[in-house]
Amino acid sequence: MSKIAVIGGGIIGVATAYELAKLGEDVILFEKNYFGSGSTFRCASGIRAQFTDEANVRLMKYAVERWERLEDELGFDINFRQTGYLFLATSEEEIEAFKANIRLQNRFGVPTRLIDMDEAKEIVPILNPEPFLAGTWNPRDGKANPFKTLFAYLFRAREMGVDAREHTEVIGFEREGDEITAVRYRSRGKAESVKVDAVLNATNAWAPTINEMAGLKRGIVPIKVYKHQLVKTELLEKGQAEPLVCPPSWNDAYIIQDGEDGGIICGAGIEHEARGLNDVEPTYDFLRGVLRYAVMMAPPLKYAHVIRQWAGFYAKTPDRNPAIGKLLEDFYISAGFSGHGFMMAPAVAQAMAELIARGRSKVPIDWEWYDPYRFERGELHTSAFQIG
Amino acid sequence: MRLREHPILHFRRGRELTIYFEGRPIKAYEGETIAMALHAAGIRVLNHSPNKNRPRGLFCAIGKCSSCLMVVNGIPNVRTCITLVEDGMRIERQKGRARLPIKAKPPEFREAKVVKADIVVIGGGPAGLMGAINASDAGARVVLLDENPMLGGQLVKQTHKFFGKREQFAGVRGVEIAKILEEEVRKRENVEVFLETSAVGIFHDGNEKLVLGVRKNRELIEFRGRAVIVATGAMERMIPFENNDLPGIYGAGAIQTLMNTYGVKPGERVLIVGAGNVGLILAYQLVQAGVEVRAIVEAMPKVGGYFVHAAKVKRLGVPILTGHTILRAEGKERVERAVVAQLDENWKPIPGTEKVFDVDVIALAVGLRPSIELLHQAGCQIRFIRELGGHVAVRDEWMETTVRGIFVAGDSAGIEEATTAMLEGKIAGIAATLRLGIAEEGWVKEIEGAQRDLEEFRSGPFGRHVAEGIRKLLEGVGNA
Repeated sequence: MSKIAVIGGGIIGVATAYELAKLGEDVILFEKNYFGSGSTFRCASGIRAQFTDEANVRLMKYAVERWERLEDELGFDINFRQTGYLFLATSEEEIEAFKANIRLQNRFGVPTRLIDMDEAKEIVPILNPEPFLAGTWNPRDGKANPFKTLFAYLFRAREMGVDAREHTEVIGFEREGDEITAVRYRSRGKAESVKVDAVLNATNAWAPTINEMAGLKRGIVPIKVYKHQLVKTELLEKGQAEPLVCPPSWNDAYIIQDGEDGGIICGAGIEHEARGLNDVEPTYDFLRGVLRYAVMMAPPLKYAHVIRQWAGFYAKTPDRNPAIGKLLEDFYISAGFSGHGFMMAPAVAQAMAELIARGRSKVPIDWEWYDPYRFERGELHTSAFQIG
Repeated sequence: MRLREHPILHFRRGRELTIYFEGRPIKAYEGETIAMALHAAGIRVLNHSPNKNRPRGLFCAIGKCSSCLMVVNGIPNVRTCITLVEDGMRIERQKGRARLPIKAKPPEFREAKVVKADIVVIGGGPAGLMGAINASDAGARVVLLDENPMLGGQLVKQTHKFFGKREQFAGVRGVEIAKILEEEVRKRENVEVFLETSAVGIFHDGNEKLVLGVRKNRELIEFRGRAVIVATGAMERMIPFENNDLPGIYGAGAIQTLMNTYGVKPGERVLIVGAGNVGLILAYQLVQAGVEVRAIVEAMPKVGGYFVHAAKVKRLGVPILTGHTILRAEGKERVERAVVAQLDENWKPIPGTEKVFDVDVIALAVGLRPSIELLHQAGCQIRFIRELGGHVAVRDEWMETTVRGIFVAGDSAGIEEATTAMLEGKIAGIAATLRLGIAEEGWVKEIEGAQRDLEEFRSGPFGRHVAEGIRKLLEGVGNA
């Protein structure tokens, strides 16, 4: 049994701590603020296998299968619901591109299909079909409750002995030669250290700082942090816009009905490079912009009240694919999720835990694709299909 | 059930018109809100709750809660207590969560209306009005918005005469003070007023503050200024007891709105919970309006309000039961009875002391909490100060919060009363104008004068409590 430090108490860190404990490892988990405070509790909650490259399609197909069993496995309601993702096309060229995506997804067992606007309107009663020609529909995509999911993982992780600490900030590493021997951290103003055998950097937007502490170049995994905002309406009757609906050509605007209270969450690719890692202040231009798309997509929304607006971070790598793998002999990274951390968590956490504990994984993950050194080598992939 | 005669108030009703409640025509008057017209027609159940399908009726009557949400002309979640009736309006009870009108057409886009001023005042009650008047006199261009259809805040329903100094309107009824302040505001050319306009957010745009307004639920307005005064008042507290959501259980302020602002009789027989000033004043206002008050129950061992108010209530023959609390409300779709009991020294009801009152209205006068939502959203530091009614924004002696350019005044700064709200509004209005470099230095003296008046007002036994809360706030004591 090795002692493993997981840094970052978002969904990736918490789920990986859980998976490591399942494999019998001794885990200490650090979160400098409160669990979920970074990006997880700010996310739009969507889960999809509709990607446009083999690596992400296969990883997310597996992740969805894990999501389907996660409630049973964790023994908590996490409100995972397969309400689908519906992408809408506005031109013939886009339909052709959609068809190519569908062929790829179908090849790996993801049951996406092209639907006409009559069917789309049946699935999303408040949809305005006029501006759109067709849609790609995968009924097995869905959503889950980020709060419940994180707490379920955390509860089970602690039950298996994970020492999970919040308001505890990692401030450095102790090393002997190239080897990391201990993690130094600060809690309630007091600095302490703990001996460890390996470290996982699961701090997403904050990952470059931790890489630097490990003696690596800050930009070894180049992560640029963008402020992404969402608005949400008052609670509404369920079933009015359950799937995530998105015309990619409308600046990635999307709507999705919250699985808990029925409020409709509206997002769009109106992004700002964050002024800093404290900059989560909502902006008026986003509010105006996103609602303009939302009411064109679903005109009845013009009668709904927006009651909330908030921001979180997309920690983007140059190719919008995360960096998952080994950076040093005893230092791993799982970060730069570019907006896909929540949906990927069950698969990535398992893969990373198995990599750390066993050196290989049963998860169909393309390690080369997510190799954290690819940026250094200048081998970028095609961008992961990212929305919002 | 409309009041025709009142010893103090004269109800000037507008043109008669017809609204349709679930298809049934109902007589209403121009200038009144939907909930008032429905109440006058005897309709108490306004919606059924989203989770347990319980009947719900009016509660706050000033747009601060969700108890009166209805479907109006097919649009759900309309706050009927602050939405004016229009001829031919179709009104339905909302059952469960809102269903959006599916046939809605895509909107036509227009740029939002932009209103520029030096200072944006949110809230047209005593604090906001005094803020606007003084800021204007000190040289600022002011825009004032309020989501209610009339100015005056809670003054418009106060029939009692105020205490204090002559320049603080001593001996004048609240409803008259509202008129005086409104006239003062209306005659100032550099003050623009927007009614039926909700402030839904404050954004920071460089040196500019953007207050996002929505007028009549449909028109977006950008109020742009360099300073903002938040004078959003307070909201009624609720206490836990069985069936506390039955229609007929109202916040004290809602009852005043019904009978004193709109001339609608709240019911026939009332039980009041809480013998602070609000509960006591409410009792004699109800008697004025010809409504029977069966009793006032007060959990504390003695009356909390001013002695003069309590004496007046007792003279009117209303029993005040101290050391008593309400156990439950009974009734099917509306209040039919209230059950109260005596409390022991550990605040536990004593078995066997239950009393049943046959009432159709239960008035909750159990305190207020500051409406700080906008201040919180704008990033102002918030602390919990019990003496000020709960969570309040940290502010300095000039009423400026921790966000530069955002000021607070009145009940939203801490629960007190109209007289102090007016003084705080004056301070905030002048201070904001000074901070913007518009007012002459001499205006500092006016602030100092108002501060002295406040200090004097707070030197009594009631004010001391508040002064203690403010001291904690200024010294940074209290839970963040």
